[in-house]
Amino acid sequence: MRPLTFRRLVVRCAALAGILFVVVVLALKLGAVQVSLYGLARDLISFALHRTSELSSNYSLIVFDIRLPRILLGIFVGASLAVAGTSFQALLRNPLADPYVLGVSSGAAVGAILAVIIEAHLALSPDVAPLLTPVGAFLGALLTILAVYFLGRRDGQVDSSTLLLAGIISASFLSAVIMFLMSTLIGRDMRGMAFWMMGDLSTPLQPSLNWVIRLGFFLATGAIYTTAADLNLLLAGEREAMHLGVDVPRVRIVVYVAASILTGLAVSVSGAIGYVGLLVPHVMRMIFGSDHRILIPAAAFGGAIAVVLADVLARTVAAPNELPVGAMTALAGAPLFIYLLRRRMV
Amino acid sequence: MVAAGVTLVSVLCAGLARAQTPPAPAVPPVSAVPLQSSPLYREVIDDMGRTVRVPQPVERIVSLAPSLTETVYALGLQDRLVGDTDYCDYPPDAQKKQKVGGTTNPSIEEVAALRPDVVLVASINRFETVRALGDLNIPVYETDPHDVKEIIASTTKLADVLGAAQNGAALAADLEQRLTNLQQRLKELPPRRVLFVVWTDPLISVGKNTFIADALSKAGAISIVDAMQDWPHVSLEEAVQLQPEFLVFAAGHDENSSVDLQALSARPGWRSLEAVRNHRFAVISEAVDRPAPRIVSAIEELARQLHPEAFLETPETPAPTEKQKIEPYNPAPTKPAIPPHGILSGLHEECREARAGACDR
Repeated sequence: MRPLTFRRLVVRCAALAGILFVVVVLALKLGAVQVSLYGLARDLISFALHRTSELSSNYSLIVFDIRLPRILLGIFVGASLAVAGTSFQALLRNPLADPYVLGVSSGAAVGAILAVIIEAHLALSPDVAPLLTPVGAFLGALLTILAVYFLGRRDGQVDSSTLLLAGIISASFLSAVIMFLMSTLIGRDMRGMAFWMMGDLSTPLQPSLNWVIRLGFFLATGAIYTTAADLNLLLAGEREAMHLGVDVPRVRIVVYVAASILTGLAVSVSGAIGYVGLLVPHVMRMIFGSDHRILIPAAAFGGAIAVVLADVLARTVAAPNELPVGAMTALAGAPLFIYLLRRRMV
Repeated sequence: MVAAGVTLVSVLCAGLARAQTPPAPAVPPVSAVPLQSSPLYREVIDDMGRTVRVPQPVERIVSLAPSLTETVYALGLQDRLVGDTDYCDYPPDAQKKQKVGGTTNPSIEEVAALRPDVVLVASINRFETVRALGDLNIPVYETDPHDVKEIIASTTKLADVLGAAQNGAALAADLEQRLTNLQQRLKELPPRRVLFVVWTDPLISVGKNTFIADALSKAGAISIVDAMQDWPHVSLEEAVQLQPEFLVFAAGHDENSSVDLQALSARPGWRSLEAVRNHRFAVISEAVDRPAPRIVSAIEELARQLHPEAFLETPETPAPTEKQKIEPYNPAPTKPAIPPHGILSGLHEECREARAGACDR
């Protein structure tokens, strides 16, 4: 493997960004309503030149007001999940680690359901009410991660396998809580929650929330990226890394907190979109090697591409019905994972 | 490594190819911008208490619930209905309308592409759908009736919003009249104790706050289930202990998934029910599941089956049809009975989801 230079890093990221751009254009074109590629191209150019008055009326509503926000959301959710997955896999030195293995999605679901239950008892203005579910989900995710962190310590030290076990047990306990809470919901909320738990990008976010997601993504990913070189050394083992001068406890806390925030943000706005955080890091590692300095940005692009593509499928396969995007990622992800496993690539 | 890259690309390509194959349903070519230029709006308050700005006159309606599609037809406004859902099957003509998806997961862009003046939603739709349409400044009118009286009131109000107040008033008067006639016939009779079966495995019935429970009482019946929940899961033991006089089923329209009522009487638990042993089943139209004007027909149908004695001599009212002339206690069904299963209306979908939710998590 040739050493990573800044040039190589930029070239690879540019290539991935190019693929992402193509996927985004495809995602803008495909959907329940037919949009011609020519009309789309014309609209995109007008849009880029800020000549919004020249947009062809009806399609611009569909392309720019319905599809584009959804694609942007998919990009940030996918990137967050994949970066979080990469981080957890490095931190726990376990190829099975993914953002949800520590019980985050279950915790978020409990938070979201509680928010829905509380919302019914509060008379909130229509501006605030839609924020309650994401906030509840985010708090649920963070509380779960904190709990798992403290459960996963042994003799004051965080132990990878104890942490994983604590996460798995918390997830199954929280699933039981979800089951109980779901049975108390009224039909309408239950339908909404069932969709939420399957991963859903179809509900537009409040603009303020969109900015929180984007800012959170860049801050947390930046924080993780500062530890990229340390994560490389950590792959050799914690003791070895420590001997090589890595401040292991600091790296662990930075990566753990940042990856948790990424997961919490992604889950709170999209529900549980499985397999992206597990599979994308593996695929990217096969293509780009396990140097985290390139792996982290590559995973971000890969996750974005994967989720946007999955969402295109979700919107088109059964059109005009919309499938939950989490079902699409699982349908495509599980067979792909098995294929990689059989070829001993994981 | 290259192989892996190729794999990834080929998987992605395969996915895309698949995504392109099912051609999206043709959408009528769109010539004009939504009629922003006509400033005629009317502010109305929907059943959820929200203020909705509805353009006047309403020319393009999209319905996201089977009950609302039926209501639009009942008001004679079918020509203005430009889109509805996969589950909108009554009247049969509604199946020919442009489909925008299911009730829980309609395609928002498909709805937007139809440039509706107003989108009608009911409580079987998700809040998220309502919110997504609202964000696009598409007027969304929500209905939420909880009993038969509210169904009629909601219909009248909707008629007014859609610019068919006269039709609405006439329809409401007719429905009220029919209900009053029915109450006249039934007033001397004690109500039948019934178990309304929404689902058989597990046994799911209706709670007392549903419009179905109200419809039962209008038909001279009283549900043995007295639950606060809308779709309570009832244990067979409880049903056996309470011994309903009749089991009431709503007919499905999907013949394939029928469960033979005959088979039910062979099953443990169920055969301990006297109503099952004596074949006291009342099977009524699936209209009872939908908060739409047709529910009154379902109520009449049920009343005739539960209280045939009240309909024996019919001096004023039109003679009952052959189908409705049923001897007391509804003898054993000779032809394969109509199923409690496979009822595809939204309400039953809800129960199926309830079950799925309970089992998966």
